[in-house]
Amino acid sequence: MAKFRVTSLVVSAIFLLVSGGPAEAKNGIVIDGSTTVGPLAKSFAAYFTRSRGISVTVSESGSGNGAKSLINGTCDIATMSRSMKPEELAAARSKGIEPVAGVVALDGLAMVVNPANPVHSLTKQQIAAIYKGSVTNWRQVGGPNARILIVQRESNSGTQETFKELVVGKKVHIAASAETQASNGAVKNRISLTKGAIGFVGLGFIDSTVKKIAVDGVLPSPETVRNGTYPLSRPLFMVTAGTPKGRVQEFINLSATPVGKRMIKELGFVGTR
Amino acid sequence: MNLGTRKLLDRSFTALGISSIVIMGLMLLVVLVPIVSNGIGAIVFKSTIEHRKMLYHEFNRGDKADLQREIASSDASRKEIYRMLDTFDAELSKMDETRQQEYREKFEQVKNSLRALLGPIPGDEEPALARLKYGQTRWEKAEEKLHELLFEKKWDYSNPDEMAKEYEVSRSASFEGTSLVRLFPYVEKNIDRLLQPEWTFYWGFITDSSVDAHFFGGIWPEIQGTLFLAVGAMLFAFPLGVIGAIYFTEYARDGFLTSLLRSANSTLAGVPSIVFGLFGLTFFINTLKVSESKSVLAGSLTLAIMILPTIIRSSEEAILAVPKTYKEASLGLGSTKWNTIIKVILPAALPGILTGGVLSLGRAAGETAPIIFTAAVSVGSAIGLADVLSSPTPALSWNIYNLASEHEAAAEIRHVQYGMVLALMTIVTLLNMSAIVLRARISKKLKG
Repeated sequence: MAKFRVTSLVVSAIFLLVSGGPAEAKNGIVIDGSTTVGPLAKSFAAYFTRSRGISVTVSESGSGNGAKSLINGTCDIATMSRSMKPEELAAARSKGIEPVAGVVALDGLAMVVNPANPVHSLTKQQIAAIYKGSVTNWRQVGGPNARILIVQRESNSGTQETFKELVVGKKVHIAASAETQASNGAVKNRISLTKGAIGFVGLGFIDSTVKKIAVDGVLPSPETVRNGTYPLSRPLFMVTAGTPKGRVQEFINLSATPVGKRMIKELGFVGTR
Repeated sequence: MNLGTRKLLDRSFTALGISSIVIMGLMLLVVLVPIVSNGIGAIVFKSTIEHRKMLYHEFNRGDKADLQREIASSDASRKEIYRMLDTFDAELSKMDETRQQEYREKFEQVKNSLRALLGPIPGDEEPALARLKYGQTRWEKAEEKLHELLFEKKWDYSNPDEMAKEYEVSRSASFEGTSLVRLFPYVEKNIDRLLQPEWTFYWGFITDSSVDAHFFGGIWPEIQGTLFLAVGAMLFAFPLGVIGAIYFTEYARDGFLTSLLRSANSTLAGVPSIVFGLFGLTFFINTLKVSESKSVLAGSLTLAIMILPTIIRSSEEAILAVPKTYKEASLGLGSTKWNTIIKVILPAALPGILTGGVLSLGRAAGETAPIIFTAAVSVGSAIGLADVLSSPTPALSWNIYNLASEHEAAAEIRHVQYGMVLALMTIVTLLNMSAIVLRARISKKLKG
């Protein structure tokens, strides 16, 4: 009996290998990349799978990984919360891939603190000073006497890149005392648990467990991001290898349809058109 | 050493032994009790009418007539709430500018709390996301949301030199003197009729796909993905491992090369699993291109490499444990070496080999790091057997991590995460149990 089972396992394994074959056409859409765009990609995926019957898988491993996957040809769409870097573009072109980026939504990079923190507004310079490590106590920026815990994102994160570009400067080193978290959700969680912490997350991740603060006097919200008054806003991209065609194009264009726009709004992002 | 000291030492060692076992038992309880109790909460819980609406609309499950009756009785109570909202809206437009502004924001908060509790308010545009289409589906969550409706959380920022303290203000107090003040006691009093809680056994948590990024529905794609990955890893690793073990025990001559191979095997067993994950990405996906994207195939191959050393080792031990007399008797009767291995040694070693195999299967099911880059995705539908070669899949271990940290609304759906943890634990435990049973049955047969 046992022997029969083992044989049948082996036979079915061989059968599997033969019947499928790597040449079989890929039938789903594979998406990899940003954790910020994650909620959007997941909701689009659920809608697309449901309405079109095409399976869509979404990984949230960071914008950098998304770009790498696209360059290696292992995903159809890379979701990114920053634009592609020159070296990524060069790597893609050397493999004969011309990345085409489409903006699916706008997002505000919200600075967040623990709700217990009375500080409700910082200037860009103050934030930069905190992240460079020259300001280490909330008292120095008009808050209570408490040490500042800086929370940043990993190097793979598009949110981190955008933050550096918009606030502290691309080449500037962030203080060594800064703590690194691997996703928007993890940053939010850390800040909701630590009274002296400051961090940044996408607008879609804000809830009552953290407090968003005004930057240069402007609070992040869909309105201030749309009209451009909030200084830390950025586009969110879906990048494809070459001009998107067929179902991939259809998927990306969801962001321009009424239902796509509704999803963008309900998730706390800002529509483009 | 005198007898007294010896006795004392003996006793204290016994005490130490017992206490360490007790501590271990307690630790196990501390870990297991919350896992099991929270995990079961994903399947057996007090559900509200919103849960039944969701089941009917998303999965077409439940009795239509019953549901309509329930909705009718719930709507009768809800109508009163919506009437109060309309009345207050009218009242609001008659107020002077400053008071209107003061109340407008608070009123919006009340409406949002009501939406979270009961679902969209009549007159709202139909939401696109399923998470906004329904109110609270679970009673314990509904009680939380009810509290948020009745009390507003505030922070006392009066002293800028200190971190603020949280305090709560009753919302009915802040609407004192308006018509809306009646709403809060009304909702509190009628919450049972509004949501109609009843105990449910939601077996769909195991068999359904998730709706709207795990907000509703079940975890079947994850369970299936885990099984595919573990079984796939076994298909590659088990035959290879047993063959390797036979080579080591029966064919290899002791020498430099063999000892090198052996130590290579032991080293491989100690490599951190994330290294295998990255290796799988560069080798199987980027170099060999076994699939165009992450896939179950690539994940299984990576897991197979990870568990291969363990299988080789345990099979080797099992083969070495077969009494030498078996082999000698078989060879002495004129059987060939190959025949002896297949007909005598392997059957006798089978219980040990299978145990090692099934234990590795459990490990493959529970590993996260090797599949992050090679197979796992945070959202995807259940894949068919035909897709394992090309499609990535959600898997329990990875999705537990995803829900714990990355998910945008992790705090709202803790129960799903707990349910996944319990499901993974159950799968691994069942695999280990089956190893024990299998071993016992085969040994019995061999003895008989």
